[in-house]
Amino acid sequence: MKPPAEGTLRGIATFLATFGIGVATYIVIADSGGGAPVCIAGGHGCQTVAESSYSHLAGVNVAVFGIAGYVLLLGCALLRGDGARMASFAISLVGFGFSLYLTYLELFTINAICQWCVVSAVLMTLLFATNTIRMLGYVGTNR
Amino acid sequence: MSGRSDREARREERLREEEQTGTAERRQKLIKVGSATAFLALAAVAVLIVISQSQTSGGDSNNIQRASEVNRDLQGIPQNGMGLGNPNAKTIVLEFADLQCPVCKGYSEEVLPQVIESRVRSGEARLEFRNYTIIGSESKPAGAAAIAAGKQGRGWNFVEIFYRNQGSEDSGYVTEEFLTAIAKAAGVRDIAKWNRDRKSERVLAEVAASTSQAEELGFTGTPSFALKGPGTSGLETLGTPGSASALEAAISSAS
Repeated sequence: MKPPAEGTLRGIATFLATFGIGVATYIVIADSGGGAPVCIAGGHGCQTVAESSYSHLAGVNVAVFGIAGYVLLLGCALLRGDGARMASFAISLVGFGFSLYLTYLELFTINAICQWCVVSAVLMTLLFATNTIRMLGYVGTNR
Repeated sequence: MSGRSDREARREERLREEEQTGTAERRQKLIKVGSATAFLALAAVAVLIVISQSQTSGGDSNNIQRASEVNRDLQGIPQNGMGLGNPNAKTIVLEFADLQCPVCKGYSEEVLPQVIESRVRSGEARLEFRNYTIIGSESKPAGAAAIAAGKQGRGWNFVEIFYRNQGSEDSGYVTEEFLTAIAKAAGVRDIAKWNRDRKSERVLAEVAASTSQAEELGFTGTPSFALKGPGTSGLETLGTPGSASALEAAISSAS
């Protein structure tokens, strides 16, 4: 099956990464004030997840790692060539894998769901799919 | 003339085939590199998971740590219920916290000791612990056990030793054995009374009431602080002061 045009895939990745930067930045700002992201649908899910020990990795809010990942993915989406194709695939695989782990923790360990984390996990999943199609479809071509 | 153009056509076709073969080979090679990269990316995820899991130790009822340090630091400061400090102090600082909350643990270890030494031990202010149970189901029995310890004048010892032995939230570590080990380390003398108190309707209702109060005050995270004193108009919310000096400054202005 012919993959979508690489320009289309890069455009989708640019949109998703930009959206992801916004979501992760909101989580960091909400957490830095000693509070927690506000769950739009109400409830304490976001608060419970933000208070959890799993919300920080080596003392740093995991959303900060999220911002770094989305910024790198945005850079890869804006660049052409095999380097960008391979890097976007690898970075989004790390993001996707870690998002899966965090979602597992929310469901089975913390027993609370933060909508903002779910949005970020969905974005990372879509970025992984987009970047995998881009890598497999266009790596090694001169386009 | 025709022979020459045939040669050129064949040459162009050969070059095209070579280019296609080269591109295919290059793609194959890069996809192999991509597979290796995927393996490294998965290894990176595994490292992140290991780091994430390793930072949640504690919760071992057979290995209660740093109890003597806590008991020494609190020695000589009066305790009444969940209040720490002069019972007649005009300035009262309420701390709304969850014993399972790692941020509260960090605050208790890094910010509160300075405030306790400078403002509570001197008698200027009294610190009151209030349960704000937001982490999970294990927070409630933990909070009730702290209140029960407070009835024997060891509430703050219980809270501080609990924090220093805190496990991973709602992982099942808040067992009868764990709570009893903390209570004994905190210096609770009558364990039978403590057991009765912590399971009583009254104490459990107290845990629920302080959680409701925190919500009514508009707090969205723990630890959150409120204070009242001669310089305030009733109970004023502080949120989470970022440092010991910020909390000290708030106490000064309230006093």
